[in-house]
Amino acid sequence: MLVYLKIFRYNPEAGRSTPSFDTYNIEAQPTDRVLDLLEHVKGHVDGTLSFRRSCAHGVCGSDAMRINGRNMLACKVLVKDVGNEITVEPILGLPVLKDMIVDMEPFFDSYKAVMPYLVNDEVPADGKERLQSPEQRERFDDTTKCIMCAACTTSCPVYWADDQYVGPAAIVNAHRFIFDSRDQAGGERLKILSDHGGVFRCRTAFNCTEACPREIHVTQAIAEVKQAITG
Amino acid sequence: MASSASPLKTTATGYATYQGREGHYAFLLHRLTGLGVLLFLIIHILDTSTVYFYPELYEHAIALYRSTPFMLGEIGLVFAVIYHGVNGLRIAVTDLWMPKRWAIQTQRNAVRITLAISVLLWAPAALWMTYNMLLHNHGINLLPFIGTH
Repeated sequence: MLVYLKIFRYNPEAGRSTPSFDTYNIEAQPTDRVLDLLEHVKGHVDGTLSFRRSCAHGVCGSDAMRINGRNMLACKVLVKDVGNEITVEPILGLPVLKDMIVDMEPFFDSYKAVMPYLVNDEVPADGKERLQSPEQRERFDDTTKCIMCAACTTSCPVYWADDQYVGPAAIVNAHRFIFDSRDQAGGERLKILSDHGGVFRCRTAFNCTEACPREIHVTQAIAEVKQAITG
Repeated sequence: MASSASPLKTTATGYATYQGREGHYAFLLHRLTGLGVLLFLIIHILDTSTVYFYPELYEHAIALYRSTPFMLGEIGLVFAVIYHGVNGLRIAVTDLWMPKRWAIQTQRNAVRITLAISVLLWAPAALWMTYNMLLHNHGINLLPFIGTH
């Protein structure tokens, strides 16, 4: 099938300081991924095209982009699922550096702000490991699946408008530790998330849950953190 | 050098072009109806205040409210109030008591049901207001068997 591919281009170092679109007609299979099309353009048509990708199998989370207006991982979406007219743009709400590459630092700053690591200074009872029941592990299982692709955060209307909001991904990663029975800094994280840029900025637009390539119940996790704060 | 759009531009781009699902459009409609009601409230406070300061102006404002464009706006206002309230209830009930219902298929259905309930609640008022507007502004009686008042 012939695919009409429209790609966002921005490269101030090469004189393309005004964002614009390039279009390509590419012969593709319905089962090709959008990432395959981008690789084809970069490898055979225009080597200056820039985008992030690493594992190319939906695990590393580097190739989140807007495909036909919706956040997706380019390596997980097939041509047959988006049709033969495909528009590819960078994710919204983070500064664009070049083509599909955005500056992820503000996103990682929000992530770091919620203390996304286990805090427990006590020596385990047996001196070796902290035991956890299957039920205790199940409590935060869903939010362990996050791959930090930023598809959720950059689909959030509140995040587009307010860069003080930590965004869904940071809350998901806080949830992962807040509800971990082994962790001791839940109160501190809840305090951080009850501030101005915390969970109560969420307006439940639900784009985050729809966009998550790992099918995490993002809005549910945010609601659970809200409940933990309000007690 | 990074291309960093202002939050306003990013928001406008996102609102206008992001291809979200039901939740996205429910959010946009919620915001639009909320701003619409707020705008009406501001205008209403201003025109009511003229009763005290400029009584003649108040009479003029009331006459304006009786004009067809304003009455059409009021029919829209009723929808805005109803939708904003019903959708607000959906969000509050789910967020406060049923967080597990923040699931994709459940919410897609919930948004559709919210819209249906809003339209059902709005329809009687909209029909009655339309009837009165046509009768009093244009002399058209859609329900001649119930007479005029």
